[in-house]
Amino acid sequence: MANILLNVLIAFLVGSVLFGLQRKIMARIQMRPGPPVIQHLLHTLKFFIKESSFPKTAAMPFYIAITAMLCVIWVSAVIVGPVTEGSLLLIFAIYAIHKIVEHNAGSSSGSPYGKLSCVRAVFSASAEVPLFAVLIIIYFKTGTMVISNIINFQATNGPLIYSIPLAAAMFFVLILSKAPYSPFAITKGKDIISGYETEHFGLLRGYLMMSESIAWYMLLWVFLTVFIGGLSPLWYLVGMVCLSVIVAFINATTPILSPNHSIMMQVSFAIVGIVGSLVLLLY
Amino acid sequence: MNETIYLLYILSFILGSLLGLVLSYRKYKAPYAIGKLDVVAVVLAVIGWVLALNSALITFIPEYITITIGVFLLAMVLGMRPGYGRNETFIGIIIAGIIWIVRMVIL
Repeated sequence: MANILLNVLIAFLVGSVLFGLQRKIMARIQMRPGPPVIQHLLHTLKFFIKESSFPKTAAMPFYIAITAMLCVIWVSAVIVGPVTEGSLLLIFAIYAIHKIVEHNAGSSSGSPYGKLSCVRAVFSASAEVPLFAVLIIIYFKTGTMVISNIINFQATNGPLIYSIPLAAAMFFVLILSKAPYSPFAITKGKDIISGYETEHFGLLRGYLMMSESIAWYMLLWVFLTVFIGGLSPLWYLVGMVCLSVIVAFINATTPILSPNHSIMMQVSFAIVGIVGSLVLLLY
Repeated sequence: MNETIYLLYILSFILGSLLGLVLSYRKYKAPYAIGKLDVVAVVLAVIGWVLALNSALITFIPEYITITIGVFLLAMVLGMRPGYGRNETFIGIIIAGIIWIVRMVIL
């Protein structure tokens, strides 16, 4: 239990600081001073002491339950990932539920912005879930879906990023799609205010933001563990900072794509990645 | 134990950043500091980065305590209000980096 709490706390704090770092780097690229690195964390904590209000159009109790659900699934991801090093299939299931939560958070609020975001969540799921085909490629390569076995495989055969680089690139696109301000972040595009979060205030918004920080940490953790191998905490931190910096560069220099273009581009990445990886595996 | 120490460093970084942010907003009123160096911030940054990167030099204190203090001090400068603390941090990193290289070559 203590181990779970420890890892969830680390995931939340590191995820929040990495989001802050990302905003800072984006700002510097765009010739702005940018917010302090801990701004995202302070922003999240602020919502826990703000007044919570509920829209009249909200579908109760679903509107409240959905925020708790987002929190629960990403805490589960921490348990499956760093704590027990369990199955990658569970991580996939958690990601799939995350898309459902995005969809339902938008629709349950009753806001037109939320509803638009809800439609886009379905849209983006059709493009992001194929990117998770990396799991099959990893299975073909290693013969296992269990994270601890994948780590052992890499300890003897070298990091998977060298043998299945296209799968790693596909997973990176998946990570990119979850970053705020990314070209693929259509569910939270500024044209729809804050997307599915628009009508979530106070405590509920705090929970959503906290879950997103944990989600960011977990996606980076899965990438590093599955494609590079088991690392020490310091190297995990270095790897996560490097990935966040790369994502920040992409986000700062790329405009958000329209939903159709975003989906087409992600599907194109998925097709190239899957076919290319299978060809690489065969030869 | 390893992860507990990791959490300690993260908390130290966050608390240091928070303190740096609050103090720098009290100390500086202008939105930018162009071409000025804050001596106190330079000292904090140098001590912080040296302690964090060269904790092995201080043998009479456990390493994790040295690094925690170092991370707290470097975060105080790194986390200062936007427009401040950048040059001081660079000076800290360069000095600590030189000491680290010298230590690795000599020791």
